[in-house]
Amino acid sequence: MTTGSVWEWIIKSVVIVFGLLTGFAYLTLLERKVLAKIQVRIGPNRAGPMGLFQPLADAIKLIFKEEIIPSRADKIIFVLAPIITVIPALIILGVLPFGGIITLFGRQISLSLADLNVGVLYITAIASISIYGIVLAGWSSNNKYAMLGGIRSSAQMISYELALGLSFIGPILLSGSMSLHDIVAAQKPLWFVVYQPVGALIFWIATLAEVNRAPFDMPEAEQELTAGYHTEYSGMKFALFFMAEYIKMIAVSAIAATLFFGGYRFVLEDQYPILGPVWLLGKVIVLLFGMIWVRATLPRIRYDRLMAFGWKFLFPLALANVFFTAIGIVLEKLWLIPLLTIAVFLGAVVMVGISETRRWRSHVF
Amino acid sequence: MTLNYALFFILAAIAIASALGMLLSKNAVYSALFLILNFNVVAIFYVLLNAPFIALTQITVYAGAIMVLFLFVIMLLGAEQTGRISSARWVKPAAYSLGIILISEILYIIFAQTGVIPDAASIAAEFGSPVTVGKALFSRYLLPFEATSVLLIASMIGAIVLTKRKS
Amino acid sequence: MTQQLTTITETLVERFPGAVLKDERPGYEGYLVSAENLPEIAQFLRDQMGYDYLSSVTGVDYLPEGKMETVYHFFRSTGGSALELKVSLPRENPVVPSLVSIFPGAELQERETYDLLGIIFDGHPDLRRILLWDGFDGHPLRKDWQEPYYEEEAKPFKSRWPEGRAIRVEEKNIFKKNVKYPAGFDPETFTPEGDTSLFASLDKLKRHDEESGMKSDHIIINFGPQHTSTHGVFRMAAAVEGETIIGLKPAMGYLHRNHEKIAERNTYLMNMPYTDRLDYLSPLSNNFGYAIAVEKLMGIQPAERAEYLRVIMAEFTRISNHLFLIGSLLNDLGAYFTPMLYALEERELILDVFEAVTGSRMMCNYFRFGGVARDLPEGQLQKIKDLAFDRLPRKIDEMDRFLTESEIIRARGVGVGVLTPEEAIAYSTCGPVLRASGVPYDVRRADPYSIYERFDFDVAVRYHGDVYDRFLLRFDEIRQSIRIIQQAVRDMPEGPVQSGKPQYQAKVPAGEAYGRVEGPKGELGYYVVSNGKPNPWRYHVRAPSFINLTALEKLCVGNKVADVFAILGSIDIVLGETDR
Repeated sequence: MTTGSVWEWIIKSVVIVFGLLTGFAYLTLLERKVLAKIQVRIGPNRAGPMGLFQPLADAIKLIFKEEIIPSRADKIIFVLAPIITVIPALIILGVLPFGGIITLFGRQISLSLADLNVGVLYITAIASISIYGIVLAGWSSNNKYAMLGGIRSSAQMISYELALGLSFIGPILLSGSMSLHDIVAAQKPLWFVVYQPVGALIFWIATLAEVNRAPFDMPEAEQELTAGYHTEYSGMKFALFFMAEYIKMIAVSAIAATLFFGGYRFVLEDQYPILGPVWLLGKVIVLLFGMIWVRATLPRIRYDRLMAFGWKFLFPLALANVFFTAIGIVLEKLWLIPLLTIAVFLGAVVMVGISETRRWRSHVF
Repeated sequence: MTLNYALFFILAAIAIASALGMLLSKNAVYSALFLILNFNVVAIFYVLLNAPFIALTQITVYAGAIMVLFLFVIMLLGAEQTGRISSARWVKPAAYSLGIILISEILYIIFAQTGVIPDAASIAAEFGSPVTVGKALFSRYLLPFEATSVLLIASMIGAIVLTKRKS
Repeated sequence: MTQQLTTITETLVERFPGAVLKDERPGYEGYLVSAENLPEIAQFLRDQMGYDYLSSVTGVDYLPEGKMETVYHFFRSTGGSALELKVSLPRENPVVPSLVSIFPGAELQERETYDLLGIIFDGHPDLRRILLWDGFDGHPLRKDWQEPYYEEEAKPFKSRWPEGRAIRVEEKNIFKKNVKYPAGFDPETFTPEGDTSLFASLDKLKRHDEESGMKSDHIIINFGPQHTSTHGVFRMAAAVEGETIIGLKPAMGYLHRNHEKIAERNTYLMNMPYTDRLDYLSPLSNNFGYAIAVEKLMGIQPAERAEYLRVIMAEFTRISNHLFLIGSLLNDLGAYFTPMLYALEERELILDVFEAVTGSRMMCNYFRFGGVARDLPEGQLQKIKDLAFDRLPRKIDEMDRFLTESEIIRARGVGVGVLTPEEAIAYSTCGPVLRASGVPYDVRRADPYSIYERFDFDVAVRYHGDVYDRFLLRFDEIRQSIRIIQQAVRDMPEGPVQSGKPQYQAKVPAGEAYGRVEGPKGELGYYVVSNGKPNPWRYHVRAPSFINLTALEKLCVGNKVADVFAILGSIDIVLGETDR
């Protein structure tokens, strides 16, 4: 380990963290702008041209806001909880490849922080500990809304982690590796979303639940629990929760792009490796737009139905997806995978639809 | 290797401190948090031993899943304050004797073995990798593996049956 | 009609000899019954004579005669006019048997009457103050109750104009000196009993545990008074088991300003703008009900053109109210403002019409006794036509297409908060809540007022009584309202918009009147008693938002926490009206 490579690590880490923080700030602006356009409004347009300085104004406002700690809260944990929430969000992208190898100042620099041979597992591990911040925030606030929000979120995240973990298995099986670099390399001929359409869908739905986005934003369902686990938080501590949520959005979009949409690879990337991060960013923005679109369109699912959906629909479907992927690989007929999984998916949807419709109109008086 | 040693002793100190904190803290939530910290430190030990797969499994399973459920139960029951629990008379002597046995085992290992910390380089690269673990689980240890999963399912169903209302 | 009334009188007098007397005072109608016979008579009316809908319960303090009266308005859920019962009580110890066991819908109204008039309802399950706080001294609607710094019995206050110069009330009531406390009351050490008694009324749930043999703790969650989804400063204390509601009590009055007491100080016309503030989302319907009640007392008919204008405006109000409801209900279901803003876009166009016609977007103050304040301005009729014939039908269909088939809205609404038709009538629910439960009761058809008989429209009914049906019913009603507006615009004659001379001081003969209209939220009734003076002696509002809340607990129990807000949203309350 030379001094040079240590510096390289430090610089890359700093770049990633600052990239994520800036990305978070402008993601809030993007979200507000997109929501506004969908809702026949204008959106933020006062601070700077086209509202471009709005995130800056928000940040200044939040920094100068009064920090309130409820007198009967558990102070240590109350302060620690937002920090515990942000750290996993910041480090989850540590194993993600942002591009190939570029030459800068005569130095070969790989555009990624670490190539862990169990990269996918790293992501699930980090995702699984990111619950703590929310649970602890809910508990330490000594507030019933916060408590219910915290409990809801832990139950929800544990449930959806199963489907999430299973949807990772498709790309792992197809590439034969748990390293994200190998997964990207294996998608050179064809994106995995072609082989794994249902897997990608499950992944996307499960990540919506995992990052508490609408329509799965139970823990902070403002119509029910005012603000859920962060009801009692204000100022920068509140901003940290907010930051964690949005950084997680970026992170899961980047992971989705890497697992199913070819990662940083796209046209001309082979000749100009510097394009890698650009393509990745483009894919991330498209996926983020999808998340925002969903938020603007769908009402919230009720909590018990969300759990039922996770356990009774998404989880079996993910199992079936793994099963048929394995069959396709064993038979060496990869084209079978999308056909079989889509057939199973449609069958499940029709079955659920029939049973639901029957239940809906069962009572007439 | 001095770096590794230094790291090891720092982490060991944290691990022991967090274990003590877990035992001694009056608040059940704090105990759980100390335990989580302990698990994470142990996971770093695995990384130092060149076994990232085991390390990450440790975090996912213990810190990520099991301890969340622990916290969940503590919070739902509102049992944060662990008061004096009146336990059966045989518990205390049993605990003491078990503790003594454990300490003597540890002392035996420390003094009977040579080369306390195995060198990371001496461990085969394949040790604890997903491939090795998977092969072991699905060939040699298939029966125990399946038996364990049946046991888990049985306990899960048991919990559901117990809590289900009669209505 | 006269024939029918005579038979009722005969039957009642025959069945309860000596206990039922016809109210013979000039300008009054209905029957005076004795307090001890009231439950019996109410039961008889409900079971034998079909008067199964107890619309309004209130009381009047007749200070000069030294007595109080409770007033009950019964209706048949199949339609027809009111049967009015009154119970005369002594002022010193007014006790009357409660009707809650026969008509559960009386629960909140009896509490309100107790709170404001001090009439004790014997046998009421939970007789507590409802609008005022528990440290309040006295019962403000009693005529001898005077507030701190009381000026005069009725407006305009001459004391404000000594020597023709205005004195602001702030100069007389210095801040911090303008409050009065009961004797022996110290605000520093006062601990409110309200919460204790509120939670105590939830405590009956403990029994539930003993039955199941399992010991478990319930959490009591307060939703509100500051909460995003209570549509104002409204509070519900809910006992939950996990996420399931096992008991729920509404607590209100945070916005209470004693509308009725203020209105009794005002002259008749001064109250017209004040009714706007009741349900501030549908001011013109509020005007309508009050105008009808006072016109009944005065015995005048509004001008022909004004009747059409009234109907057009009231129906536009209904549309704008329902649009707002659809938007906010979807918000309560967690749709992030998109349906809300699409609905508000249409509502804005309607408010534009209001602004042009009445001069104000929300506080319209448009109706007058005998007509409306002014005619349509130039070119406004064309705008109304564009809205009614083109824009609104198109946009409503579009919204319907986007929303009603949504899986999530169905999953959230179907089978949630079910009210059977029998319960809906028993709980005195009204308007869309009643009609979504399959009771085709619409005051516009059941007891027609104004010129609604001339229009061809259907009473919107749905038959499942759940949140989803209450949601769909709003679309149906908007469509019917558009039909009415289309016909009214087509048929509207030319002519004056005011019958007789516009007058600032309405001359109202002594008597009583109950005027009711089908407001967007349900039956909006005004009970006005006049003693011939320039100010009403008694002015009571039968507020649909308030009375529909009687059924809230019934609707919520057994559902999840998230459903409470869907249910509350589907009832459609406005706190300005609930708390008055």
